[in-house]
Amino acid sequence: MTYALAEPSRDSADTRDEPWDEMVTGDGHVRAHWQGFISSGAADGASMAERWDAGRRLLFQNGVTYHAYADPQGVERPWPLDPIPLLLPQSEWHMIAEGLRQRARLLDRVLADLYGEQTLLRDGVLPPALVLGDPGFLRACHGLNLPAGSRLTLIATDMVRDRDGIWRVLASRTQAPTGTGYTLENRVVMSQTLAEAFRGCNVERLSPFFEQLRQTLINLAPRCSGPDGCPRLVLLTPGPLNEAYFEHAFLARHLGLTLVEGADLTVRDQAVYLKTLGGLERIDVILRRVDDDFCDPLELRPDSILGVPGLLEAVRAGNVMVCNSLGSGLTDSVALIPWMGSLSRHVLGEAPLLADVPTYWGGDARQRAEMVAGLDRLVFRPAFSSLGHRTSFGAELDHAARTELAASIRRRPQDWVAQEPIVPSTAPVWRDGRKVARPLVLRAFTCATPDGDWTIMPGGLARISADERFASVTLQTGAGAKDVWIVGATIGQPQRRRGSAAMMPDGGGDTGPRTGDLPSRAADHLFWVGRYAERADAAVRTLRAAARRLTDDAHPGAEEELVPLLRLMGFTGMIPMEISGLPQADAVRGMRQALEIVADPANPGGLRATMDRLRRAASGVRDRLPGEFSRVLTVLGDVASQPLKAEPATMQLRLDEVSRLLASLIGLELDGMSRGPAWRFLVLGRRLERAIGIVGAFNGCGLGSGTAGTVASLSVLLELAAAGAAYRDQHPVGIRREPVLSLLLADDDHPRSLAFQIKTVQRQLVKLPPIDAEGLAVSPTKLANDLLETAAGMVADPQPTRDPTALADLTDRLGRLLPEISNLLSQAYFSHVFARTT
Amino acid sequence: MSLPARRKDDAVDGEAMAAAARRPVRYKCTHVTRYHYGDTVISAHMLAHLAPRAHPRQTNHNSTLTIIPWPGVVTGRSDWFGNPVTYAALHTPHRELKVTAEIDVTVSPPPPFTPDATPGWEDVAAQAASLAETLEFVRPSARVPLADTALTLFAAGFFPPGQRVGTGAMDLTRRIHDDFSFDPTATTVSTPISEVLTRRRGVCQDFAHLMIGALRALGLPARYVSGYLRTLPPPGKEKLKGADASHAWVQVWCGEADGWIDLDPTNGRQCDTDHVTLAWGRDYDDVCPLRGVIMGGGGHGVLVAVDVEPVDDR
Repeated sequence: MTYALAEPSRDSADTRDEPWDEMVTGDGHVRAHWQGFISSGAADGASMAERWDAGRRLLFQNGVTYHAYADPQGVERPWPLDPIPLLLPQSEWHMIAEGLRQRARLLDRVLADLYGEQTLLRDGVLPPALVLGDPGFLRACHGLNLPAGSRLTLIATDMVRDRDGIWRVLASRTQAPTGTGYTLENRVVMSQTLAEAFRGCNVERLSPFFEQLRQTLINLAPRCSGPDGCPRLVLLTPGPLNEAYFEHAFLARHLGLTLVEGADLTVRDQAVYLKTLGGLERIDVILRRVDDDFCDPLELRPDSILGVPGLLEAVRAGNVMVCNSLGSGLTDSVALIPWMGSLSRHVLGEAPLLADVPTYWGGDARQRAEMVAGLDRLVFRPAFSSLGHRTSFGAELDHAARTELAASIRRRPQDWVAQEPIVPSTAPVWRDGRKVARPLVLRAFTCATPDGDWTIMPGGLARISADERFASVTLQTGAGAKDVWIVGATIGQPQRRRGSAAMMPDGGGDTGPRTGDLPSRAADHLFWVGRYAERADAAVRTLRAAARRLTDDAHPGAEEELVPLLRLMGFTGMIPMEISGLPQADAVRGMRQALEIVADPANPGGLRATMDRLRRAASGVRDRLPGEFSRVLTVLGDVASQPLKAEPATMQLRLDEVSRLLASLIGLELDGMSRGPAWRFLVLGRRLERAIGIVGAFNGCGLGSGTAGTVASLSVLLELAAAGAAYRDQHPVGIRREPVLSLLLADDDHPRSLAFQIKTVQRQLVKLPPIDAEGLAVSPTKLANDLLETAAGMVADPQPTRDPTALADLTDRLGRLLPEISNLLSQAYFSHVFARTT
Repeated sequence: MSLPARRKDDAVDGEAMAAAARRPVRYKCTHVTRYHYGDTVISAHMLAHLAPRAHPRQTNHNSTLTIIPWPGVVTGRSDWFGNPVTYAALHTPHRELKVTAEIDVTVSPPPPFTPDATPGWEDVAAQAASLAETLEFVRPSARVPLADTALTLFAAGFFPPGQRVGTGAMDLTRRIHDDFSFDPTATTVSTPISEVLTRRRGVCQDFAHLMIGALRALGLPARYVSGYLRTLPPPGKEKLKGADASHAWVQVWCGEADGWIDLDPTNGRQCDTDHVTLAWGRDYDDVCPLRGVIMGGGGHGVLVAVDVEPVDDR
């Protein structure tokens, strides 16, 4: 028998056909647990629009996004948070939580049995076809000997509230459940935008749950390999292209885990190691967001590039704990739902506390009969999660489609399940400036505790169906989300504080960038963040210089200076060569055309493209950069993605904005990051790029070809190097070749001179761990240092400032030497030798 | 790695062979796999199904696996299907890797099998769908996906209503041998079954997968068997060293009385004491003799040499 998990129904009998309204009873009264919220004024239409806006702005700036795979561009979408939370009373939640705890205990024991003794199959409790026929049953994981109660660390349970007020389980997610990070981010935003109502409603805090999760992970460690006697924990992500990468980075930072990809890890002697700049560091616990069969290309999917070869063997040897355990996708199967009651009685000796959505599996003759009889009514889904999640609504199928479905069930009955169509409860949702009722699915989270028990997050993720009809609610289909508030029985009661709440505040998830072990891959990304940020900055400087010279109040001689600017733009690949080589007479026309080209978002050399590269590089190291850095990047991306007008004055305004944002990135680099290896690679990237850019500007302005160079090109160079004022202070007589070049090449007090860049790179390089030659004739770091020494000598030599031929020789040699240093760094620190299957 | 198969016309029929097939035969087999890499390999993880599994008709006396360079870690266990499997990992930089399996087994002849005495195929299919022992060999697997129409029609030709499962399976075995050409250049390890069926050519691995796919299309349980086949030199010639090869065939479940019967579609006959079994599973992926993941290496080449020698056991 099943206990009703609902507050006593106050609905009158004649409203039974209507969905349950979460806020209002059938006779139009606001439910008791919403009254505090309503009286706070938080639900008033007037303030709602404003808050909705504020919330969206916060989410946008925090970079809360998810990817849509269907989108060919792989664009990140903003997280669609609704400004009205879902409120549930504490008393009701306690009952749900009890049911979830029981369910977690059950699923963990079922997994242990199915991957071990399989008494459930032998005793006939489960039909063998349900398990052995599930592609999610990973034979390589059978016999993994894991400590009791450690198969499932984190579980997500999707539930809907039926018309009778009872919450019913729709599905469980036991493999690598998504949503905890988004839930926390929702809370951060809601507690800020609805601060007063939040305080007034006595909302249960989420932070103890996350502290618990962290404790559990620590306790699962088979040993402590960290520097201070602590276990070393990592979060394994499929990478920045995954739909929930934001959450992975957010959660890793919040829980203090190192965010890693499969290629960052290696298995040696049946133990897992992280490849860091300083060498291999042993890993004790892996919280994974990579699906079961992708985790080990040796024993599972051979074509996976997301996993770690030999991982399963390391787990088998007991040297690492993977959470949730490998193979746990088995209990995701919807086909198990019809057996939940009998499993609970058989395994736990207890009646189930949670109700399930009535479900029928085609592999069972009796249930198949129900299925076939309900073709015009039931909701049909693939039985096993690896078969996909395509849902068919029997009631909406036409005759042909229904016949087709029936035939497909007849052919492969065991691959199908059907569920009774539940009309889910509705809650008010803010849509297009007004409140409308929308159906919702509640995702609750369960976490194992070190003492073998389970704890339930007091809250969760309510996902809203995109339309009034209850469609399948996934992030992919563009539904919205709500924060879930478990509100206290007494309004205005002082906050219940828990011991650890102060450590991880709900409202301040940003605990600063990670400074621990820097994976080589992250170093690589950081290096390129530095390079692309600088490249964007250089492009913006050039464009501003160009646009300014086309406006009405351009200074005398401006037209002449368009010639070197055009050449420079051609040289850096922004525009085609035939425009860049135009003589002075055509320069104005040429530059107008050039700006059109640069403004074109499709131009691979344009500003937009550079910005995209910067964003992509940064997305792989979100957890290593200050939160503010990501926020600036988000705004930058937004500004850069708006169509750019080629009209000079308008363009200049936009460029000024981009320039300010890029400058604030430099500011954060200087003042917002501690000087660890992460910072060093960012700076190395920026300085090397700038050095390469300066040499490029010499060539672009025609100084690399052995000619003396015009006053126009020299003044352009000074402007691009932001050195005009400094030069005029020292040399009031005007532009002369020798002092200009000396300033740009050798003045190490000027932050945009070549000498300054080379010195900075030298200074940072020696602080990195040296790399052994290992099979090479010379160590790459040693070689890079030698090259830098040579470069430093070359720019200090006064000869090129006087002799055009010597300058041409200098730019030529530096033009080859500087990129070589970049290559040596890659070779020394980033080179990933990727695993291959043979 | 590629799996060269034996040439099907190597099998020589004759009185002597028939008599020999009725006695247990002891074999010493050597299976050498050499990898040559264009660049240094920094580390390698391997999974080998290169030890013969014990079963009622096969006794494993002593079998060894030698890997050079010497691996840092070697562990052995039994996989889900009961096959012995070895994991090895090495982190010594190398340009060449040599894996040698030495196998010493005795193979006994199968019990008498009368195809016409087996149950009707529909009954076998109905029974197999729910038995733990058989149901996973009815379901699609990585290398044998759900049958398309062409394959289903092909299979149906051998199993008219009421046909004895053994008779249909024997017909299928012979027909693949008769109508398909053995052609190592026609396919690669990743050629899909549908293409083998259209082009009517392939190697033992393709024929085994094709036959498994056809049987499963009708709901009949079929297993993939990896092993070796004893070959005889052409009349009057010395047998060449290393000229044998890995082989693959099929087990079909013929009801509870007969159980699993070994059939060799490459050679169009039931398996006997010429066949040495290494491992069985749902398809090649479950029992691949040597699977590896390496770091580094650049391009690579593989050389495989197999010797299957009967030894005098009297």
